[in-house]
Amino acid sequence: MSGAVNGVTAHRDATSVAPDPGAGPPVLSLRDLVVEFATPAGVVRAVNGMTYDVFGGETLGVVGETGSGKSVSVLAALGLISTPNLRRVTGEVLLGDVDLLTLPTAELRRRLGRDVAMVFQDAISALNPVRRVGDQIAEALRVHDRTLSSTAARARVVELLGLVGVPHPVTRHDQYPHQFSGGMCQRVMIAMAIANRPKVLIADEPTTALDVSVQAQILNLLRVARQETGAGIVLITHDLGVVAETADRVGVTYGGRIVESGDVTRIFTRPRHPYTAALLGALPRLDSASDRLLPIPGQPPDPSELPTGCAFAPRCPISRGRAVCTEARPEPVPDGSGASACHFPDEAASLLTAQADDPPVDQDDPGEPDNDPAPVLDVHDAVARFPVRSGVFARACAWVHAVDGVSLRVPAGRTLGLVGESGCGKTTLARLVLRLVEPTGGRILVDGDDVGKAGRSQLRRIRRRAQMVFQDPYASLNPRLSVGDNVAEPLRLQGLSRGQRRGQVADLFSRVGLRVEHADRLPSEFSGGQRQRVAIARALACAPGLLILDEPVSALDVSVQAQVLNLLADLQRETAMAYLFVSHDLAVIRQVADEVAVMYLGRIVESGSVRRVYDDPRHPYTRALLASVPVPDPVGRADRQRVPLGGDVPSPVNPPSGCRFRTRCPIATDRCAAEEPPLRPVAGGYTACHFAEETVGLAPEVPA
Amino acid sequence: MYGHLVRRLLQFVVVLLLGSVAVWGFTFALPGDPATVLLGADASAAELAAVRARLGLDESIVGQYLSWIGHAVTGDLGASYYSGQPVVSDLFDRIPATVQLAGFAMVLTLLIAVPVGITVALRPYSVVGRVLQGYLTAGLAVPTFWLGLLLIIVLAVRLRWLPASSDYVPLWENPAGALSATILPAAAIAVHTSSVTARFLATSLGEVMGKDYIRTARAKGVPERDVIRRHALRNASLPTVTVVGLQLGGFLGGTVVIEAVFNYPGLGRLLYTAIGERDYALVQGGVLFVVATFLLLNLLVDVFYAVLDPRIRLT
Repeated sequence: MSGAVNGVTAHRDATSVAPDPGAGPPVLSLRDLVVEFATPAGVVRAVNGMTYDVFGGETLGVVGETGSGKSVSVLAALGLISTPNLRRVTGEVLLGDVDLLTLPTAELRRRLGRDVAMVFQDAISALNPVRRVGDQIAEALRVHDRTLSSTAARARVVELLGLVGVPHPVTRHDQYPHQFSGGMCQRVMIAMAIANRPKVLIADEPTTALDVSVQAQILNLLRVARQETGAGIVLITHDLGVVAETADRVGVTYGGRIVESGDVTRIFTRPRHPYTAALLGALPRLDSASDRLLPIPGQPPDPSELPTGCAFAPRCPISRGRAVCTEARPEPVPDGSGASACHFPDEAASLLTAQADDPPVDQDDPGEPDNDPAPVLDVHDAVARFPVRSGVFARACAWVHAVDGVSLRVPAGRTLGLVGESGCGKTTLARLVLRLVEPTGGRILVDGDDVGKAGRSQLRRIRRRAQMVFQDPYASLNPRLSVGDNVAEPLRLQGLSRGQRRGQVADLFSRVGLRVEHADRLPSEFSGGQRQRVAIARALACAPGLLILDEPVSALDVSVQAQVLNLLADLQRETAMAYLFVSHDLAVIRQVADEVAVMYLGRIVESGSVRRVYDDPRHPYTRALLASVPVPDPVGRADRQRVPLGGDVPSPVNPPSGCRFRTRCPIATDRCAAEEPPLRPVAGGYTACHFAEETVGLAPEVPA
Repeated sequence: MYGHLVRRLLQFVVVLLLGSVAVWGFTFALPGDPATVLLGADASAAELAAVRARLGLDESIVGQYLSWIGHAVTGDLGASYYSGQPVVSDLFDRIPATVQLAGFAMVLTLLIAVPVGITVALRPYSVVGRVLQGYLTAGLAVPTFWLGLLLIIVLAVRLRWLPASSDYVPLWENPAGALSATILPAAAIAVHTSSVTARFLATSLGEVMGKDYIRTARAKGVPERDVIRRHALRNASLPTVTVVGLQLGGFLGGTVVIEAVFNYPGLGRLLYTAIGERDYALVQGGVLFVVATFLLLNLLVDVFYAVLDPRIRLT
């Protein structure tokens, strides 16, 4: 691409400053955008004065929680909201000097995909399932260039597929989306978006549904796309780590507008809005374990009743009830490289340092167990296989090895973190413990009782002692029962009377931080975080000795996630429950776990104490995984050279011979294909790698 | 794909066999003795026995079924109890008429259903959309035979635009005549079936329009018309194809009531008459043919599904 653009990019990378006058006018500007929806509850103002600029060749990270208006604003700006209850979109969306909001649809479409292109979340469903992938990319070209012949379009599409790293582009061109993995679909989306070399590329949560190793590949690819096209990128995400890794400038959204903007380093080191500072405090860190997260109290604002003053005032740690915060909406005040919409921006910065200095809240570490107590959960060589049926008579012709010989122990009062990418079998393992999935082999003991051999009534007793909290609190609560009845369900099964149940529900509600008077409300009246509290209360109803937490905070926003994680920590301290905590999020696991087990394709490849696994990882997979996680610290990101793991996780139907990781392993040898490495003691933990002693000598990241 | 189709084909054979047993068994379970019907109540026992022997009614039930199905496989469905004509030739006399009526009704159904379904899905709150939704409700609620009578009274009896009773006029011999003879029964059928089809189309299209890939197509800059034509309709047509296949099966099986109302010489009227006359051989053969046609169309729908949806074709 043009040298000028690359020059600007390089310059910005070096100094990381805000809008560079040399960059010329912004390629896309949102000016005071307001988006309103009509709902039965009244008018909902989802976007409330969103204003930002994007310049050519830069990446603007727009970061915020669910409902903060970050996605709705761009969708409304590009006329991509088609719900009939869209009430009004006002303000200006300037693409060059044209206001997109004033254009008729046909005119607007002529610019979409050509001047401004989008990359969506969940690429698999963003591609048309019944049309060939190549044709879908070609359509982006041909719709803006009617003269392009189909052979020329095909050649260009193959070239684009190669550019975005899709192997065998000629073959892949004629395949359908369902034949692609999630990461590959996202590459296709990016190819489609950069096909016309747009001026602006808007990526809306482009990596949210992807595994960390694939996420790292996609983020790299977006960087390549920027270099290739010179486009200005708007990267919309909820993930502060992603922003810190990739953005030049950042806009933080809250209550439908940008509350703080500025250079990425400045935002992360000296935030000038208390929300930004609070968000950073609430974030579990991969690089340094904190004793306790600092959650933001309360819930994100309800866009149907935004307060007159500052939207953050009710949760703000520095407002301290000052009248101006609740009465006057703070307007963004430019300061140097950015702006802060806070009445007291200088106090916000001190918040971050104050937090750091805070003595850790009394963390009586349960301490190392003096002697190895009998574990609450003892899994020995568990196996779960599912048949793959095909052919005329639907006979099982192959087996998915979901869990393939896994052993682990969780003592009382301790947390075992089970971490791995999607499809590694971690959720199946969690379900095996309660026999929600029938085990194919192995032995699972809960408090010494064999789950696999238990009869009906014994299994019911075991399930009372081991409870589960699921990922999606929207789906795991019965929507027709009040939250109180949802929580009381296990008590009802135990035969408690109505009065006893009410008393216990009230007690459970107060333990998980819910208000007792809300017990009669339906789940739909609660936010995700509150629902997860309800689900936790239900799990606690039987006073279990073991809690199985299957991605319990993955559906929650950072500020709420911290509340739930702290709640779980408090409950464990009170009751000495054992936790089996399943997550794909390495930072969350580091925060909550005492011991960690890393799973890959149905097997544990490394386990040990948190310190051992995170600070001295010996398995190349653990090392690569840790290197792939975006760190929410832009300082020194240029020095962090990361080479993400290539490719996708192989199919568990036919796992590779020998070491299952060898197909993606940078140090694999012939021995790895022939001989399966056992999980053996290495450096105070356990690692299943033939070369576990040698990995420590490797560079922290795998060299290119 | 291959395994899928082979499995469907096997299912087809099994269901057809089971269907043949049911068809055969049902007529057997019906009250009334065909010999008595043929000869009248005054016939002597000897005459009755002779007729039963001629019709093969004196064999055991299993024996009757086996000989019937054995012949059926070779294309011989026996002879009509009444006319003595082979059932197959009776059926084949009527099939062209039924196919023509079914074709007309289907074309009309689609001509109404597709635009109505699309409009209702895309502009549910517009005036036109609301009116068409009213049509859909009315079309479902109005009984077909009543609508047929109404059409006859208004268009044939009062206005004398079209013939009241429809004869079969082959399309290739006299297109205009065929049209005028078939249009009324076809319209009476199509009002109902188009309401069903349009509803299905509207629901699935409405759902598809909210999908992420529609947003992607718009974000690429595809004009709205092409978004609907190239991206939405093919996805939305999948459930609709099932309904259309079922309807077509129903049409070919003979639209008994409508053919009776319009006195149309199709399969439906043939069966209607045969049932009244207890002509078991004809009823059995006719219903077997209807069942087979229906199953075959279902099989075709499955094949068509695979053509439309690569997720079925390629797994």
